[in-house]
Amino acid sequence: MSNRPALGGLALAVGLLVLVPLAALVGTALDIGAADLAAGLGSTGGPVLNTVVTGVAGTLVAVVAGSAFAVLTERVDFAGRRLLRVMMLVGLIVPGYVSGIAWLNAYGPAGISDRALGVQLPGLQGPLGISLVLGAEAAPLVFLLVAAGLATRAEPDLERAARASGASAWTAFRTISLPLLAPVIGGATAIAFVLSVTAFGAPAVLGIPAGFGTMTTRIYRDLSFAADPLAFGRAITLAVLLAVAASVVAALAGWLLAPARARRSGVPGGPSAVAVPRMGSGRLATAVVAALAWALVLLAVIVPLVALVLTALTRAVGLPPTPDNWTLANFNTVLDTHAWAAFGNSLVLGALAAGGAVLLAVLGLVAVRGRARGVAAALVGLSFAIPGSTLAAAVLIAYGPLLRDTLVIILVAYLAKFWVLAFRPLSAALEALAADFGRAARASGADALTAARTIILPLLWPSLAASAVLVFMFALHELTMSSLLYGPTSATLAVVVLNLQQLGDPTQTAALAVLVTLLVALVSLPLAGRLGAFASARWRG
Amino acid sequence: MATLIVAGLAVAACTGPATSDTITLYTSVTQDTVDAVLGALAEVHPELHVNVFRAPTGQLDARIAAEQRSGGVQADVLWATDPLSTESYAAQGLLRPLSSDALSVVPAQYRSDNFVGTRLLNLVLVAHAGLAPQPAAWHDLTDAAYRDDVALPDPAFAGSAFAALGYFASAPGYGMDFYRQLKANGAVQLQAVGDVITNVANGTQSVGISLDKSVRDALDKGSPITLIWPQPGAIAVYSPAAIFRSSRNPAAAATFVDFLVSVAAQTAIAGTGWQPVRSDVPWDKSGPALDVDWAQVFGQQQQLLDQYRVIFGQ
Repeated sequence: MSNRPALGGLALAVGLLVLVPLAALVGTALDIGAADLAAGLGSTGGPVLNTVVTGVAGTLVAVVAGSAFAVLTERVDFAGRRLLRVMMLVGLIVPGYVSGIAWLNAYGPAGISDRALGVQLPGLQGPLGISLVLGAEAAPLVFLLVAAGLATRAEPDLERAARASGASAWTAFRTISLPLLAPVIGGATAIAFVLSVTAFGAPAVLGIPAGFGTMTTRIYRDLSFAADPLAFGRAITLAVLLAVAASVVAALAGWLLAPARARRSGVPGGPSAVAVPRMGSGRLATAVVAALAWALVLLAVIVPLVALVLTALTRAVGLPPTPDNWTLANFNTVLDTHAWAAFGNSLVLGALAAGGAVLLAVLGLVAVRGRARGVAAALVGLSFAIPGSTLAAAVLIAYGPLLRDTLVIILVAYLAKFWVLAFRPLSAALEALAADFGRAARASGADALTAARTIILPLLWPSLAASAVLVFMFALHELTMSSLLYGPTSATLAVVVLNLQQLGDPTQTAALAVLVTLLVALVSLPLAGRLGAFASARWRG
Repeated sequence: MATLIVAGLAVAACTGPATSDTITLYTSVTQDTVDAVLGALAEVHPELHVNVFRAPTGQLDARIAAEQRSGGVQADVLWATDPLSTESYAAQGLLRPLSSDALSVVPAQYRSDNFVGTRLLNLVLVAHAGLAPQPAAWHDLTDAAYRDDVALPDPAFAGSAFAALGYFASAPGYGMDFYRQLKANGAVQLQAVGDVITNVANGTQSVGISLDKSVRDALDKGSPITLIWPQPGAIAVYSPAAIFRSSRNPAAAATFVDFLVSVAAQTAIAGTGWQPVRSDVPWDKSGPALDVDWAQVFGQQQQLLDQYRVIFGQ
């Protein structure tokens, strides 16, 4: 079986999806010229600084909270541990812009904390609020990576040995596991930073109305809200700058998280079947820590979502969200023909992106084998690190003249961004299977094709399906690229929510946000068990 | 690659009919009004299919500018919020002169050679329910009684706010000084007209500049606010429709614009709470309004925005 056609197809796809747009973007930047770009750069100091500040602060929140929760649920024994883990993962389902809207309804002016206690979160519509929501958004991913690291890299056997030798649970953790985890935490930090600086939803919802711009919202404003030519140059400058920064940090993350970086003690055997003794079961300190953790989840996840639902149920702005003011009218109003059309667009885009991404991933796996696959995976990973804002600007420049305002141009951006989501888990699943089963089949006389058809494919099928669902979910989430690329007939659900929010009707915005979140949750149900594994597989080799 | 092509074809097939009777409409008019008018259109001109791109004025401006850079405006008809933005397009030569006799039903002060008014938006005051004392005139907004308590929509975002800027900047007794005084009195610039109503209903600010129909809609739902027709009158802004010069289907575009000023469309517009531009369509919801000579502000749009930015930042 020759791989040449597959390789050609792969090269063509990567070229059309990623290289052509990026080349067009760089070409445009060169056309604009150094002087104008420098002028553009000069006026972008604010957004760049704001992005760094909210990115660093958000990363800090995510790393501290995510790591603490991982240690807590993996190493400390307390009631409700499993439920806490599930609640962390809810954050992966709720889109960033919905989180922003939900936090506004919870802690903003006239939010439920304001109405109930007279307390608002100062600076919610600004750097503080954006940092907190970005942190809450990235924390689940840090949590997954560190939890996985605790299970594999931290070498429970060593920790157990230390305990047997008389070290306290805390000492064993601090002196054995923590140093072994350092690269994982470093990698998770880099990923959280990339996610935070390239995020658009939370800064759009919390920053734009308050006049606080980050790089991504500035690109959006300059491309979608500004008529003067200078703004276009500024957007291009920011897009290139953001892509360079994100790629460098993402490459660092890849290096830190590479399996080869795991420091091994030489103790044979993989993860032990015997559990590590957990710290402090039943003690007061444990109860306090657990209560703190629950309080944090309550404040960062549960209260905002409850506030969102309450706002969606409220009859009119300015009324308290008490039962006598409840109505379903908002849901009725927002579910108009446009929302249904956007719903249809999102479903079509999601389905095509899912199918396309899985096919591209399979193409990639067939085309590239062995060591080259690692290189391919790294390249694909880097393309995922290209910020949505940059990718959309690039796709718009490259294909705008031909495909402007169509669903196709949005699909191109989705495929370029999301096929890595399918590639990584499939690649991992294939590696786990192929060696043993494929060899066995071949030894029994099957040719390569038969082996693939009768052994590999059936075993890979669940991974294929799960990858498709994952891409579908991300496509439903997507706002950054859709908001830059949509036209008269191609708005997606996320775009409709953002537009409603920008028009300033909180009750209707909340109603549609609730519906979108329910939809995403419904779609991700089949992934429930594997969501964590798949989300972290995005970033691991 | 075959995947992509198949996917592309499948999507292209879903993006709606592109027959000779399909036009694309760029509009900043509220969605319910667009829907009502298109509903009425379907009865009179069932053959006419309209693709709608609805966005705030600022976003339409950007879209039109971007399209000019790459091959020309993609829309056939513009249905805007305010005459100032529309006149900017006319001055750039983007609009096709209107010649239809059907448009003569619109009073002369609400049309020009290139665009025709379709409805009147009344800029009014909105106050939190029970506020005392209530402001009675525009000038009261600069009064110390409302320090840090006034909400304004953003002229770079909302066409109606841009019209307010155009009126105040040129009106005797106001000028850009009015905005300087507002700023000095701690007035807060929000984004959309809806933001102003939300903040006033929530009590974040207690007074704001808003639109009559938007305030009535919120009142109907039960928001704790009051609609005030300020002295010496509301600022009546007419919402123009125009045909782009680059339209590939000017005949269908003209049919649509003619329809907008027909009794059927005007009744639909009135039904969603906007004052119809035709006086022969029943309407009883307006208070005293000022007649504004918009033509005298034409040509100064960018300058006004620049001056405004100096005062309110961004």
